[in-house]
Amino acid sequence: MRTLLASVLLAPASALAAASAPFAGDHVALSLVSENSALVPGQTAWLGLRLQHDPHWHTYWINPGDSGLPTKLAWHLPDGFSAGEIAWPTPRRFDVGELYTFGYDGDVLLPVPLAVPAAASGAAHLVLDAKWLVCQEECIPGKATLTLELPIAAAAKRDADAARFAQARAAQPQTGKWKAAARIVGDRIEVSLRGADLGSGAGVDAFAQDGKVVANAPPRFSRRDGAAVLTFAKSDYFTSIPRALELIVLKPGAAAMRVRALFDATP
Amino acid sequence: MSLRPLVLAAACALSAFSSLALAAASVGAAAPDFSLTDSNGKAHTLAEYKGKTVVLEWNNPECPFVKKHYSSGNIPKQQADATAAGAVWLTINSGADGKQGHVDGAGANAFLAQYNAKPTAYLLDPDGKAGRAYGAKTTPHLYVIDGGGVLRYMGGIDSIASTDKDDLPKATQYVPQALAELKAGKPVSVATSQPYGCGVKYGS
Repeated sequence: MRTLLASVLLAPASALAAASAPFAGDHVALSLVSENSALVPGQTAWLGLRLQHDPHWHTYWINPGDSGLPTKLAWHLPDGFSAGEIAWPTPRRFDVGELYTFGYDGDVLLPVPLAVPAAASGAAHLVLDAKWLVCQEECIPGKATLTLELPIAAAAKRDADAARFAQARAAQPQTGKWKAAARIVGDRIEVSLRGADLGSGAGVDAFAQDGKVVANAPPRFSRRDGAAVLTFAKSDYFTSIPRALELIVLKPGAAAMRVRALFDATP
Repeated sequence: MSLRPLVLAAACALSAFSSLALAAASVGAAAPDFSLTDSNGKAHTLAEYKGKTVVLEWNNPECPFVKKHYSSGNIPKQQADATAAGAVWLTINSGADGKQGHVDGAGANAFLAQYNAKPTAYLLDPDGKAGRAYGAKTTPHLYVIDGGGVLRYMGGIDSIASTDKDDLPKATQYVPQALAELKAGKPVSVATSQPYGCGVKYGS
């Protein structure tokens, strides 16, 4: 009864928004949204999970950091449809005393690509099971099933939520042309970056997608031989040297960069 | 190449990492000693248990991950089985006073009674000294120390990071596995795993 009322109240007067009824969880409201108001056969459409957090509450990135749990999605789709992985926007770092976590607060959209089969017609009934952990000082797990019905059409019109997708795209880490190499030096991991304009290093931060290589604390910045060097502590759970380390490097006033540092075999 | 910037950078790196030092414990090394009071006012040290296998379990009664493992009976059963086999199980709370998850002795005892949990003792570490010495980050966070005082396992309670009790039958429980391997004189097959849970709320 409650969700029915919510969807009536939220439908804008001009058009039916392509969004599920919102789910009001503890400290976070979620809805399944679509970039376009119709799905086009044979094309990739973008869906998204919108999370509106209460002030001071947050959910987590794919690598949540020292604690927490990433938001997880499971889709139930019509035959022939398939959903890809979340295109995670650049998260922010949360500093909780001596622990570091990565995630999102405020109003965020987690976009997901949806492959629409060439033979699609009529309408698509899309069901998403979402699970998350929302924390402030305490943590509250949540889960919800969100549904969205979208028409199949020859052309798609941009939906009311389209601007959110543009924002989410802009918030993606960009792939840089920097040359990055990683090496182990005792109980530290050094990543050297060439071609990166990181200036004096003021405000530079970096973190990894894999929690088992570098520790989650911010790295130290230095310069050596014309390269910027980020020195991380090794993760307590480091077991073996990976082939490469995926990092996200943040610099104030610039787009976040995704960097792939190959591990140096030479000492 | 100028040596000085390198030396300065190294000095900065070292001082930064001393503040990052939430991990003095590592598998294969001697486990750090501690001296803590339990929920009934009795003192315990790690050293007094030399000769016995000791399990350390970081705890926060209100954490949904802890509740998953207690309300399902998973941790209480592991505590009962381990202590029946001669091991010592110490549940530890490093939540600072005033922060979420902190308990006093009465609160700890009430929590244990609620779930019929019987560890050897529930130790109170409000200044976080033991937690920091072990690098305890989450609740739960588990450590297994052999009779010689060497750390043999550290990490998560099991292999599936979630708050769902439904995941328990499918998950590998790392502590009973390590205890069985130690008892059989075998190497611990999973010596570390990524811990998961709520963050430990240390004081500043």
